[in-house]
Amino acid sequence: MKYCLLILVALTAILPLAAEDQVSWNTTPAIAGPGQPFRLQVHIESDVVLGAAERVVKELKPPRGMALRFSGQLYRSNTTEATLNFSGVAPEEEGTFVIPSFNIRFTAKVVKIPEITLHVSSTTGFRKSSQARAELSLPERTYYVGERIPGVIHLLSSEQETVTGSVGLECEAEGFSYYFNGPPKNTDQGMDLLFELTPTRTGNGEIIFNGSMFLQSENSFLTTGRDRPYTFRQRFRVEHVPEEGRPADWTGGIGKFTAESVHVSNAKPEVGEPIKLTAVLTGIGNLERILPPEIVGGDVWEVLPASERRRRAEEERMFVYSIIPRLPGKQTTPAIKFSTFDPSTKKFTRLEFPVQSVTVTGTAPAKVDLVSIDPAAPANQETKAKLPDLMPPQVHQQAGVKVILPLAASPKFWATNAVLIISTTILLCLSLLSGYLLLHPEIILFYRARRHVQQAQRQAQAAQQKGASQAFATAIVSGLRAGVGALLRAEPQALTQGDILRILPEADPVLLDRIFREADGEKFGGRVTNQLLTDAPKALELLQKVKAQL
Amino acid sequence: MKTFLSVFWLSLAPLFSWADDGAAAYQRGDYAQAVELWQSQAQQEGVHADLLSALGNAEWKLGRKGRAILCWERALLLNPRDPVALAGLHHAQGVGGTDRPLPTWTETYASFMTADTWLLLGTLSFWVAVYCIVVPRLKRQPSTDLNERILLLSITLLVLTIPGLWGAHTNAQRAVIKQGEISLRLTPTKLGEPIQATSEGDVVRTDRKFNGHVRVITAEGKAGWVRADEIEPIWGAGLPGTYSDATSAP
Repeated sequence: MKYCLLILVALTAILPLAAEDQVSWNTTPAIAGPGQPFRLQVHIESDVVLGAAERVVKELKPPRGMALRFSGQLYRSNTTEATLNFSGVAPEEEGTFVIPSFNIRFTAKVVKIPEITLHVSSTTGFRKSSQARAELSLPERTYYVGERIPGVIHLLSSEQETVTGSVGLECEAEGFSYYFNGPPKNTDQGMDLLFELTPTRTGNGEIIFNGSMFLQSENSFLTTGRDRPYTFRQRFRVEHVPEEGRPADWTGGIGKFTAESVHVSNAKPEVGEPIKLTAVLTGIGNLERILPPEIVGGDVWEVLPASERRRRAEEERMFVYSIIPRLPGKQTTPAIKFSTFDPSTKKFTRLEFPVQSVTVTGTAPAKVDLVSIDPAAPANQETKAKLPDLMPPQVHQQAGVKVILPLAASPKFWATNAVLIISTTILLCLSLLSGYLLLHPEIILFYRARRHVQQAQRQAQAAQQKGASQAFATAIVSGLRAGVGALLRAEPQALTQGDILRILPEADPVLLDRIFREADGEKFGGRVTNQLLTDAPKALELLQKVKAQL
Repeated sequence: MKTFLSVFWLSLAPLFSWADDGAAAYQRGDYAQAVELWQSQAQQEGVHADLLSALGNAEWKLGRKGRAILCWERALLLNPRDPVALAGLHHAQGVGGTDRPLPTWTETYASFMTADTWLLLGTLSFWVAVYCIVVPRLKRQPSTDLNERILLLSITLLVLTIPGLWGAHTNAQRAVIKQGEISLRLTPTKLGEPIQATSEGDVVRTDRKFNGHVRVITAEGKAGWVRADEIEPIWGAGLPGTYSDATSAP
């Protein structure tokens, strides 16, 4: 009995674990057109009271190009069923898209939703122009660390749907800081959501924007409201502003800027009277990140550090310097200049504010000459030799130069020298080569003989193929005479079989005799006909042996 | 012929007028006017040692040390023994407080002639030596006694020009600090740690470039980095750049 009770308790404990949740889903429409809004309904039947669903959005990972948002749960208390609604927009491409499996956390338990498939086909007859839509406007180029990238999401109304609001705009981008410029701005076509991105480190990745817009659909019978999600993904590449060609006076400005204006607070100050020099910079870019450019006062001006001001709404930046004139007269304010980097052209640009004319009144402080006498010197000692003075200049008429550059910097000078060196080297090499050949005439002799023997070989082979015995013999004899002639330093035409045997002692005299008779027999008597070709390989071997000695 | 000569002298008249007017302005102490006239002359005719040294004097009188030193240094490039430029540089070092690196022995040796003369002499002696060796070989004849003498002479000349060429090369590596209160930085960056102050007109030896900066060595032997636009090389345009503030005569 005790064991029966234990088994019953164990089975009771296992029973909930063994029970499976029934999950079903359907999309409306079943097959969506490209970019068509659709509704996904997930129905869950469980064995426990499920309660409310929590944190659905976080686990939902729709495929690329598809927007999908959790829009609500049909909630009935004390039931074991739950129905969840999602609204989405199909991708722009045709095909089958799979929403990966995800978990829904209810108060009672976690339910796993299996993969959901959505078919997208252009055969549905869906007309995209009748739907309200969202468009992302963000420059597609290489971004640079520290720059300010303005972007807009346009929510565009259509004939049948009017955009009435926006909610839940989120940006996912690692290595970026982002800033949404206030509430949506109403436009003629709908609404604009303005934002700014600033890359904080280099690398590649993807920026993802998710959000929903509220819509009002109007037809002849009733007006209904609904929400529709949108999503955008854009790949990016972030680099540092290039170091190559970066001017020394680049102070971090990235964008397109204009030196708007510059003015002084008082155009007729006195010597020593501080005045304000204000420069206004405008443009599109990271105005707030630009370091105030340094200005150099020189002998005329004393410059105090700049204070700065920026008004975000007006897209302008002011650099305010306090400068104090040291000398009287007509003076110009110090130049304010610096370089900026334009990310669209990838080039640095120099910005310079025009100098301002100022009339300084008053008198300059008296100059104090430094004492160059050694204070430790005896009182009665005479002063040392007078320090050198300037010589009076004498300008004589003579030829002048526009630029003082050394001859060593002239490419023409070095090119002339290079041409001379190359031509001299070539001449020298040719001279040495010809001298060597004169000392060793056998080189050319053997070379020519070798070519002659090779030519004879080719002629003999051709004659052999044609079956022309006499031509074969003539070619062999010609080749043997040319080769042996070079080796014996003799005229080839004067050579006989005996001369050939001096160079080729192992040659068959009978074969040699037959070759010579076949070749020259007609000159001296009868010739042996058509017998030689049977020994053609041996005859060719003789030529090869001669050639090997050359 | 007379007409031609008169036209020729009339065309030359403005040139003499510039030079004379500049000298006259300098004599009466109107250095700004003298600078303007000599600059106009330089822009029209080009520069030469006399003009540059005179311009250096006028610039010095106006208190523009950087431009003055640059003018004198450039005058010495065109004529290493220009007395006005040499006196100006001595004066600037003695009274003006500017620093100039002590010349090495090769630089002193090189100052006997201009850099171009050294290079021409070196090139000429090199080619004479080469052809003294090559020509007999090309002609396949033994070298003559005269040929041997010329070869020895040219090789000697070539050896003698080498220190001169080296001195001219190191001379060309110098630059002048353009502005006052420039700090030598430890690193070639805008925020590099300052290690030594320099003053306008100081002559420095330049080394490698990096990140818009140039490594320089001062007359005291201190090495550091300055921005490339804070110095102006001695070799370059005829007149100094327009970097200095347009100060009036003191």
